[in-house]
Amino acid sequence: MFLMFGKTTLYFSFFLFTFCSFFSFGQVDYLVGHDIQKGEELFKANCTSCHKLGDEKKARLIGPGLNVEIFEEYTQEWLIEWIRNSSALIETGDEQAIAIFEEYNQSVMTAFPTLSDDDVRDILAYIENPPVEEVAVVEVVENKDVKSENISTQTLLILVLALVSVFGFLTFLKNSLKKASNIEETIFQGLKKWVSSNIAIVLIVVHLGVLVVIVIGWQSLSKIGISQNYKPAQPIEFSHKLHAGEQGIDCNYCHSSARKSKHSGIPSANVCMNCHANIVEGPVHGTKEIAKIYKAVGYDVDSRSYIEGYEQQPIKWVRIHNLPNHAYFNHSQHVVAGNIECQECHGAIEEMDVVYQKEKLTMGWCINCHRDSKIDLDNPYYHEYDDWVEKHKKADLTVEDIGGLECGKCHY
Amino acid sequence: MKKGKKYFKSPYIKGDEKYLHDEFSEKLPLDHFVSNQNENSNNTSRRDFLKFLGFSTAAAVLSSCEAPVVKSVPYLNQPEEIIPGVANFYASSYFQENNFANILVKTREGRPISVTTNKDYEKNNQFGGGLNSRGYASVLSLYDSNRIKNPLKNNKEITWNKLDSEIKKALKETSKKGKKIVFLSSTIISPSFKEILNTFSKKFRTTEIVYSDSISKSAILESNSKCFGESFIPTYNFHKAKVVVSFEADFLGDWLDSSYGRKYSQLRNPGKNMSKHYQFESLLSLTGSNSDKRIPTNPDEQLNYLNYLYSKISMSQSNLEIINKKHKAILDNVCEDLLKNKGKSLVISGSSNTEHQIVVNAINYLLDNYSKTIDYNNKSNLYSSINSNFQKFIKDVENNKVGAVIINDVNIAYNHPSVINQLNNIKLKVSMSDSLNETTRLMDYVCPKSHYLESWGDAKPYSAVYSIQQPTINPIFNSRQVEQNLLKWMNSQATYYDFLKSFYKSLGYNKSWNKILHDGFCEVDYEKRNLVFSSDTAINILKENNVNTKNSNDVFLVLYSKGSMGSGYQSNNPWLQELPDPITKVTWDNYLTISPAHAKSLGLKNWHVANGGLNGDVVNIKFDENVENIILKVPVYIQPGQKENVLGMAFGYGRENSGKVANGVGVSAFELYKKLSLVHKNNFTIEKVKGVEHEYACTQNSHTMMGRSIVKETTLNEYLKNPKSGNKDFKLESYKGSVAASELNLYQEHKPSVHFWNMSIDLNKCNGCGACVIACHAENNVPVVGKEEVRKNRDMHWLRIDRYYSSDMNKDLASEQGIGAIEMYKLMEEPSVAENLEVVFQPVMCQHCNQAPCENVCPVAATTHSNEGLNQMTYNRCIGTRYCMNNCPYKVRRFNWFNYKDNDDFDFNMNDDLGKMVLNPDVTVRARGVMEKCSMCIQNIQKTKLDAKKERRKVRDGEINCACETACDTGAIVFGDALDEKSRISKEKKHPRTYALLEELNTQPSVFYKTKVRNKN
Repeated sequence: MFLMFGKTTLYFSFFLFTFCSFFSFGQVDYLVGHDIQKGEELFKANCTSCHKLGDEKKARLIGPGLNVEIFEEYTQEWLIEWIRNSSALIETGDEQAIAIFEEYNQSVMTAFPTLSDDDVRDILAYIENPPVEEVAVVEVVENKDVKSENISTQTLLILVLALVSVFGFLTFLKNSLKKASNIEETIFQGLKKWVSSNIAIVLIVVHLGVLVVIVIGWQSLSKIGISQNYKPAQPIEFSHKLHAGEQGIDCNYCHSSARKSKHSGIPSANVCMNCHANIVEGPVHGTKEIAKIYKAVGYDVDSRSYIEGYEQQPIKWVRIHNLPNHAYFNHSQHVVAGNIECQECHGAIEEMDVVYQKEKLTMGWCINCHRDSKIDLDNPYYHEYDDWVEKHKKADLTVEDIGGLECGKCHY
Repeated sequence: MKKGKKYFKSPYIKGDEKYLHDEFSEKLPLDHFVSNQNENSNNTSRRDFLKFLGFSTAAAVLSSCEAPVVKSVPYLNQPEEIIPGVANFYASSYFQENNFANILVKTREGRPISVTTNKDYEKNNQFGGGLNSRGYASVLSLYDSNRIKNPLKNNKEITWNKLDSEIKKALKETSKKGKKIVFLSSTIISPSFKEILNTFSKKFRTTEIVYSDSISKSAILESNSKCFGESFIPTYNFHKAKVVVSFEADFLGDWLDSSYGRKYSQLRNPGKNMSKHYQFESLLSLTGSNSDKRIPTNPDEQLNYLNYLYSKISMSQSNLEIINKKHKAILDNVCEDLLKNKGKSLVISGSSNTEHQIVVNAINYLLDNYSKTIDYNNKSNLYSSINSNFQKFIKDVENNKVGAVIINDVNIAYNHPSVINQLNNIKLKVSMSDSLNETTRLMDYVCPKSHYLESWGDAKPYSAVYSIQQPTINPIFNSRQVEQNLLKWMNSQATYYDFLKSFYKSLGYNKSWNKILHDGFCEVDYEKRNLVFSSDTAINILKENNVNTKNSNDVFLVLYSKGSMGSGYQSNNPWLQELPDPITKVTWDNYLTISPAHAKSLGLKNWHVANGGLNGDVVNIKFDENVENIILKVPVYIQPGQKENVLGMAFGYGRENSGKVANGVGVSAFELYKKLSLVHKNNFTIEKVKGVEHEYACTQNSHTMMGRSIVKETTLNEYLKNPKSGNKDFKLESYKGSVAASELNLYQEHKPSVHFWNMSIDLNKCNGCGACVIACHAENNVPVVGKEEVRKNRDMHWLRIDRYYSSDMNKDLASEQGIGAIEMYKLMEEPSVAENLEVVFQPVMCQHCNQAPCENVCPVAATTHSNEGLNQMTYNRCIGTRYCMNNCPYKVRRFNWFNYKDNDDFDFNMNDDLGKMVLNPDVTVRARGVMEKCSMCIQNIQKTKLDAKKERRKVRDGEINCACETACDTGAIVFGDALDEKSRISKEKKHPRTYALLEELNTQPSVFYKTKVRNKN
């Protein structure tokens, strides 16, 4: 859907203008009886690909920025007519309309015949009362991944503790030696004596100590090679939260090969450009991050055209989910044959500004899911299992039952 | 048990003291394992060892804590047809070394990773061609590090622009001076290329086109010109020939066309229609091994026998005498069979002697075979070189008539080493070659030629078909197509692609450009007429040819080409070097083959040494022809079945300047190909070089089956009486009575749940060519290990083809003659004498036993059984105990003794980034210390099952292809689901000829074989 608008909304730019003249006397009209919230929804659904709220020139996207000024310049009726079908208005020879048409290189704003008068008024009401701008909190993504940071604080803590205890032990030793020099019995003899009289305590402490070391050692060793919560910084601060969450773009729009191939695929820059040929500015980073795409493909924002003879530079994303080479994993198997949602393995991607590895991706994790997941017995492929189901008196077959735990299914 | 019969007693044989005292006949190479003197002086103490151990453990732990950052770089502009992770297939054409094939190229993310034949194309029996082992390996040659990266002038790099302008200038000058510009090329089958050449010779008037094929088939062309007044090569319809009589023609190996194996096999199904095949030959060829009756004869005898056949068939008077009474009887039989099958028989000859070919033509004409089994209207265009033309060219060079030579794909310095000096007479020497070779270093200019997988092109290999070639990858190096070069030098602005497209349109075929790119070929109408045999030629046949064969001291040297190496065009391809010769099973070598009796008389030997390797004596061959002496130092290989007093030597080896793989392997037989004749008679001497031994890398050291029924065999007559003949069920005596081994299980049976993947191999159709081995190499990333390792029996082929010779001794004969067991087994080791020798081939890969001996012994469960009947190998679990390898009765497991990738000790294709591009990304590259073996191409099984699931349907029969099955042109291998009752494999499984290998072990293999049936009396 987004793509569709990406192309057509080029013409939507004129929206803005139309509004300006209205404002002075229309202001109250819009406020009273018109739903700003609905207007916001409509605006986001239909207008954002070409227009932004703000000053006509400064907030220019494809069409002009929209704010209260449009109501000063245009009447309400004119605006409604323009939004509904701007080219019809131009054909009538309306001077204002022609002026806009000429100003924007004769590109036509998309017509919205489906919008009712009330809808348009809602939108206008929203433009008149733009949301109070929140101060954008730019999350600075650290260049290190979270895991390594945790480890470093831990180690620091342990180091400090170790130092303190060593220091304490040394002081104790010094004091004891001082004492010992006066007494016949040496410190070691004293210690020996104490140990032999308290052997039970010593044994328990030693055993506990060994146990703790083993457990900690085992736990830390078993974490080797697992990069859960791995959250690397990417060359472009692309937000899934914005695209998949707020904009609601389907995962398959960008990761189209997830349904066909073993790789989900990182979208090529031309997929980005489907929308970003027009959307030049983002809500968080402004033009900074989007400009990186343009740099990669060689796109000139001012003339809205690709630079000829440009030496394109590939975008080197950092791969987050890394399976070892000897493990075969196929996205299409899970997405199409297994009917699994992306989120089941990748977590709530649509809420992540910076994507991280949600699950462990260990073999145990894979196998647990294979034990529990039911297979789709409606699929004619699995009809071959009909006899099997009958024979084993099973209602549901899991992936395990059809051999999903065998080594050779994933390792070859 | 007969009384007085001796069975195994002890290794001590009376009179042979050696066995009494020495367990090993020679010193064991223990030094090699223990350590040598130098290392001892470095004494590494135990403490040092512990230090290293501690340090390396710590280092390993530390380094594994931090995972490397993996970059993932997507396309900037993704091509529409490419989905990362999904293979694309393109139809194209292959033409190298006179072999043509219409192919499908499999590409992944834009790089070709394997080629297969186009099955749609092969459906039509009129069309010839097909991929042999060299064809399958050609995809690796694309990534050859020896390819020329930039244009060269006097072996220094220059730019194309400079090269173009200099050559243009030189060509103009040459043609102004009236000196010849010779375009010396191997056969060109591309009509568009020929069109460009035409225009080229119009622009440069003195241009002359000379064809030179490395192994010429001039004799056939010339004989046809004498017999029919037209120089051509017909297509032979082996699929219609009920009697095939071949004289030295190795049509299943490397003769005229790679389609003959496929066509021949169509009539090799046991039954009333099974063809009968006689082979008269001097060496033991692949074709001879597969024949029903093989008659070892030397080249002179062959001519006499041909004449004898001709005189009998033509019923003309002749005073020919066949000295050998046995052979006379056979020839009479052959004659009878031929006359019974007029129009359904085929007589062919592989001789480079025109006389032989003329008699063959005459016999076929009399038998009414023309236009039936020999199609002279549907001509083969694969060979155009005529010896006299080439010789004339050399004369012209000597006489300074040639001012420029442009060489296209002819390695003249290697194929004709005697003319190297003459080449200096030519002022402008340009070579167009895809890789460096002996010729390129002598050239003024070298134009890097794009590989066929990088090039556009078309082909008219046979009159009946037009085939198209399309690139599947951008040129990897700064190379250009030959056609493009010529266009440039003619000052044409057109790209060859545009030229080809408009050329195709001008042909007016019924397929559109897009359609032919999709299909790869287009059927074409061709002129059909009757040719008449020239009576002048016929009259002279018997007059001219009377060779006295009574002199038994005649010694012949016959040059031949191996299916794996051909003329050596791809000798820098490690897959081909490591492919064992189908007969000798020797890799990485050529040698002088000699019959056992002849070797004995000259005191030449082959023997095995303690590490299991084969060693052989070395001889000098001396030629005293034309004053200058040629001496070649060649190792000797004793070849059972070879005709006495005939020596054989293969082309394609002894390369220089041809890359890291080929250089220095073997000896060049082209040194002896002086008069373009494959046969030398009495003009050489051989003598043993004392004190020199040659080390072979041979993959099979035992010659016979030692009385076991590994390959089951029967004759057609027996088979027709009883389809189970030769395939006796194995029964065990037990408390239950006499039962099949499978009824005495110790273990619980594996029950396949939904699929049961089985494979059937028809030993009657397998001719042992080895294309499947290469296809398996490409599909499964099988590493190349090199000569030294093969010699230690560490070859990594997942699929091997065992070759067994028959033996004159068997258990029945021994008990009849009262021969003791030791003596019997000793005699069994000896292959039959040449006259009786029969050869069988048996491809053996992992048998996927359902009672697998390997699975039981693995301590870490790295090899397990799947619910689909597959024996799975899990590399990441394997700890390398090699118990499974020891316990496998079929010896099909392969151990990675080393890391074969990124290892300078194994400097083949997996040691550089270029060579690694051929790897199949769906198959793990195995690391050191793990076991591997045939997986039945599980990646394809899984992929096809997934396709079926995604499309919500069942798996179709024949949809899953193992690489070996696809590569097998003759259809010997069938793979499928044995639980699907309608599948091909289910039918094969129930066939009376079907048996399991080593059935008595009750391993219950998923692979089974079908008895070999020979059509003999």
